[in-house]
Amino acid sequence: MTKALDPRTKLLIVLCLSSLGLIITHPILLTFVFLVGLLISMAFKGDFFSLIKRFKKVLYLFIAMIILQSLFTTGGEPLVEIGSVTLLTTLGFQRGFGYLMRVLIILVCGIIVATAKMRHMVQGLVQLGVPYDFAFMASIGIKFLPLLVEEIQDTFVAIELRGIDFKKLSLKAKLEIISYIFTPVFAGALMKAKKLSLSVECRGFRAYDQRTSILTLKMNSLDYLWIALTLTLTIWSLYLYLIY
Amino acid sequence: MMMPFIQVNQMSCSIKGKVILTDINLKLEQSQCVALVGPNGSGKTTLGKALAGILPFQKGSIYLQNESIKEKSLSSIGTVIGYLFQNPEKQIFASTVAEELSFALKYKGFPADEIEKSVDDMLRRFELNHLKNASTYFLSQGEKQRLAIAALLMNHPQYLILDEPTTGLDSKRKEQLGHLLDSLKDKVGMLLISHDKSFIRRHAYQTLKMEGGQILHD
Ligand SMILES: Nc1ncnc2c1ncn2[C@@H]1O[C@H](COP(=O)(O)OP(=O)(O)OP(=O)(O)O)[C@@H](O)[C@H]1O
Ligand SMILES: [Mg+2]
Repeated sequence: MTKALDPRTKLLIVLCLSSLGLIITHPILLTFVFLVGLLISMAFKGDFFSLIKRFKKVLYLFIAMIILQSLFTTGGEPLVEIGSVTLLTTLGFQRGFGYLMRVLIILVCGIIVATAKMRHMVQGLVQLGVPYDFAFMASIGIKFLPLLVEEIQDTFVAIELRGIDFKKLSLKAKLEIISYIFTPVFAGALMKAKKLSLSVECRGFRAYDQRTSILTLKMNSLDYLWIALTLTLTIWSLYLYLIY
Repeated sequence: MMMPFIQVNQMSCSIKGKVILTDINLKLEQSQCVALVGPNGSGKTTLGKALAGILPFQKGSIYLQNESIKEKSLSSIGTVIGYLFQNPEKQIFASTVAEELSFALKYKGFPADEIEKSVDDMLRRFELNHLKNASTYFLSQGEKQRLAIAALLMNHPQYLILDEPTTGLDSKRKEQLGHLLDSLKDKVGMLLISHDKSFIRRHAYQTLKMEGGQILHD
């Protein structure tokens, strides 16, 4: 039932969630925004936890960065002390926690967007007045992401097959190789995109100025309900937040 | 008794639930050039990948120099086997031709002048001198193919698995590649996956036919 929600409604929800995430700085309120987002994504049958599993390594990196950053923040009451050295202050903890919540809010937003079909998302954007080219490009861009990941994996295989044990290299060499790989991978992706757009044009894409579409999206009462609810809640919480 | 260089026992492999290879038995010796032929989609590339340790398989075993390939790291396989991807673009990752060739030696800690010398030597053998500092993205198909093979040889592998090495090469370059392979034959074993009948007839010692994920025995 909820799966049939209009992609435009989902876009609005995501927009509201992310603006709340941007404007609010209080860690507990951010947690609340994240939890609401999580509930919504679950209502749309998005799978947050499998995404977390897939991005485990990147998340570790994030968390490490957040911890480092909190450790170097001074100000507020000391929270953890070793001897006379303050390791962590309340302010550092608050900031770090806030960052973590923001990352999670972004992930939840991504999941909500991902529950819509790509074709529907493009159509939703078009009906919102976004030029078809842009909407189409955005959808292609999203499709390219997994390809990029695959390409990077392939490159690592190719490197190891040259007899180089990546794990045993020094940190400097590792960073060197990584920086040295990413350029060709991204350049390769760009070239692929260029070729794709050429081949798409060769097949007559954009032959006519006015595209018609067999698929038109219509909002139903459920959409309006969600939209009304989202807007009221967002505006209300922003109002309260800015007042107090 | 001496085990062959590569031995495959009752190996089966499926990808995403689809069976691609069934009950493969194979013995490959060093200092032999064996050709692998078969129609499109018969599983040649998949078998080559399994032999190079890139593709996990579910049943049976593959031994490389008496050691199960599952126990070996990709990098240790890579020092023994040179694997040419069917699409050479997959294995070219550096931004210039010279960097691509010097890559492995550089990270193995060879001195710079020695690397320079072997790179120049290899460039000459593959007639790529004029492209030494060229960007790898803009190479022609045949140039990429030659660069990929040259980069493999920089490692002095004991065995080569070449997935369609002659695709994209003109007849002169094909002949040169043939000579090069012939000159390596005494030291290096080869599995030559190819549709090029005359090339196989000229250079392979034995031909294996694949069909529907199986090796046909006649
Ligand atoms: N990653 C994959 N996922 C699903 N199916 C695959 C995958 N890789 C290979 N296959 C299938 O396995 C079969 C064998 O593929 P393979 O690439 O080994 O054939 P091939 O003999 O090398 O063909 P060609 O002569 O065209 O190179 C094909 O039917 C192919 O569709
Ligand atoms: Mg193949």
